[in-house]
Amino acid sequence: MRRIFAQVRKELTQIVRDRLALSLALILPIMQLMLMGNAISLSVEDLPVAVQDLDDSPSSHLFIDAFRQSITFHVIPFSTKISPDEAFIRNEARAVLIIPNHFGRDIARGTNSPVQMMIDGSDSNTARLIAGFSAQVANSWNTTNGAAARVQPVKAAIRFWYNPGRSSKKFYGPGIFVLALSLFPPLLATLATAKEGEQKTILQVYVSSISAHEFILGKIFTFMIVAFCECLLLLTILFTYFGLSFAGDPTPFIVATILYAFCTSSFGTMIGAAIPNQAAAMQAVALGGFLLVFMLSGLIFPIQNIPESIRWLSNFIWGRYYIDIVRDALLQGGGWPAVWWKVGIIAIIGSIFYTLAWRNMRRMQLKS
Amino acid sequence: MKLIQFLFGYRIRALLKKEFAQIRRDRRLAMSLILPPVLQLLLFSFVLNATVSNLKLGIIDESRTPESRNLTSTLTESKSFRMAGYYYSVDKMGDAISKGELDAGVVIPHDYTGELERGRPVTVQFLLNAMNANTAAIAQGYAEGVILTYNRTLGAQGIHARFSQIAAPALSRKGLALMTSTYLYNPGLVGTWFVVTGIFGLLIILNGSIVAATSMVKEREQGTIEQLLMCPAGTYEIIVAKIAPLFFLLFMMVLFATAIIKFVFDVPFEGNILILFAGAALCILSGIGIGTVLATFTHSAFQAQLTSFFVNPLLTTASGAVTPAEAVPGWLQPLVRINPIRHFSVIARSSMIKGSGLETLWPNFLVLSIFTVVMVSLSVWRFRKQLS
Repeated sequence: MRRIFAQVRKELTQIVRDRLALSLALILPIMQLMLMGNAISLSVEDLPVAVQDLDDSPSSHLFIDAFRQSITFHVIPFSTKISPDEAFIRNEARAVLIIPNHFGRDIARGTNSPVQMMIDGSDSNTARLIAGFSAQVANSWNTTNGAAARVQPVKAAIRFWYNPGRSSKKFYGPGIFVLALSLFPPLLATLATAKEGEQKTILQVYVSSISAHEFILGKIFTFMIVAFCECLLLLTILFTYFGLSFAGDPTPFIVATILYAFCTSSFGTMIGAAIPNQAAAMQAVALGGFLLVFMLSGLIFPIQNIPESIRWLSNFIWGRYYIDIVRDALLQGGGWPAVWWKVGIIAIIGSIFYTLAWRNMRRMQLKS
Repeated sequence: MKLIQFLFGYRIRALLKKEFAQIRRDRRLAMSLILPPVLQLLLFSFVLNATVSNLKLGIIDESRTPESRNLTSTLTESKSFRMAGYYYSVDKMGDAISKGELDAGVVIPHDYTGELERGRPVTVQFLLNAMNANTAAIAQGYAEGVILTYNRTLGAQGIHARFSQIAAPALSRKGLALMTSTYLYNPGLVGTWFVVTGIFGLLIILNGSIVAATSMVKEREQGTIEQLLMCPAGTYEIIVAKIAPLFFLLFMMVLFATAIIKFVFDVPFEGNILILFAGAALCILSGIGIGTVLATFTHSAFQAQLTSFFVNPLLTTASGAVTPAEAVPGWLQPLVRINPIRHFSVIARSSMIKGSGLETLWPNFLVLSIFTVVMVSLSVWRFRKQLS
């Protein structure tokens, strides 16, 4: 035990004295959270919508005003003489609203009048959002404009659970938190372990009385401490700037965080022990920690959308389970019944990484 | 005249020969420049997909009448919702939503049919898991759309007629604005078209910058930079000679990637392909420019890679490559405006999918060119400063 702690102390001193590593450990996660948590969002506001009002009557003006009032759209006037797709080719608008001739007259007479929304489909998700929102605007205009004009037999009352304001920040913030914890602690662990091999200080370890378990645990504990510091820093930001708080029982989150820190630090140590070259080891961690977690864990886009031929891979991605736990703790509050098995899987993956790291180091002698 | 002399001067020719020979002998570099980006393009574009479909819908049907079953079948017959089970209490369904077994739930009240037949409006409650804001917004659109069409089909059952009678007298009744949406350029709303064109630029910049940085720094690491400085060539010549082979290799990558975009992802090529290639060439140069600037700040390939950890998140998030650029918050928008990834993705998307020409894309080309020139000049300046 004493030897492990001596090693932890040595490693921590090394990190504190290395300015690049220190900023990598503390500043970069914060930067990542602030940047990506804010900027990654699929829901857009102020979408430019060009309006071609062929009618130009008081009714059509009221109709356009309804669009002006919504925060989703930003109405820009557009000449009726130009073909609507010009607006898309010039990237001036995301959609063109076309109000036909006699719109006002038809409405007053009690005839239905078709209104067209032409949407630039090259960004399919935004196109879908525009279609949904514009239908809502038209609907609410219909109900307010015609007074008791027409009663819809069935009405949908839609309740948004867990994130009533539908804030993207609250969804992506926890995701980026997981991404940061999946990338930086293992990166530092890899660099520290690979450095021993690269600079041949590993020889001193070999000749000392330290055992393979102690050596690996020393490294892992160090970077678990780093991970906890990062976790506290990032949680502070999530709780203040992102406006999140624990939605329910925080114990699954705490247990999972300890296990996840162990899991990722073991991953880093494993890679570092296997590849005694800092640059190559770093690339391996960037691939495992960043690329796989970023793509295959449902961080931005849902896992169900991954083609089935690759989707099974995501079952092995440790970040996927932790993301679910963090989102549950901060948004849903399902607690232990919802996530207990995910906590278990993180522990299993972590122990696999540990075993692999140990197998690599166990002989504590130079490879023949 | 001077430019021609510069470009075809024997000094630069000699340097180019050296650089190309170096690249030719370094098979690994050549492979690493072409193969991984192409694979990444394939993988990323298959995996990153925002399409919302087959949402798991739980149903509480307290009415249990033909009418209510009609509503549930209308809800689940489209690709938007998939029936995931009947529930008997809202608590049970709430649990299922919080465990992630359901994405949405619908509650049909017990007096559903009775109220409809009496000609009173009924409210059906939808519960959506709004954790993912985007999915929730799209699911809301789906749900309202389904209810809207359902209301129209009710007319056939005689219920609608009763509603028209109850509603305001025919004279004062006003018409409805019926909104129809049409999607131009991508009527099937294929999600990959957007992602693949964004990832394209992302890969050019990220790979270009890191490869350029490592190859610049290598000379310093191995000490051969002294020899390079001793030769009679100027700084510009050294840098141009360094850039040329990388540009050549990256352009090969662009050709491969374009083929994949065309044949694997079936993205239409509406516009002139030369515009795409011109944009890609400028994008490669700006990527290399970023790399050479990074290289002048670092002393080893390893450090250059570490530094790229600081630069890449900035470039990636403020790019609009996989998420819409408008969604980037205001304080980051200046970065979006100068970001080469952003401008290339606009060029790629507009020219490929919409067929825009130079007359509308010139501002993007202009920004890309300025960015390249600034970056290369900056690296030349830094390089010179280090010499003295």
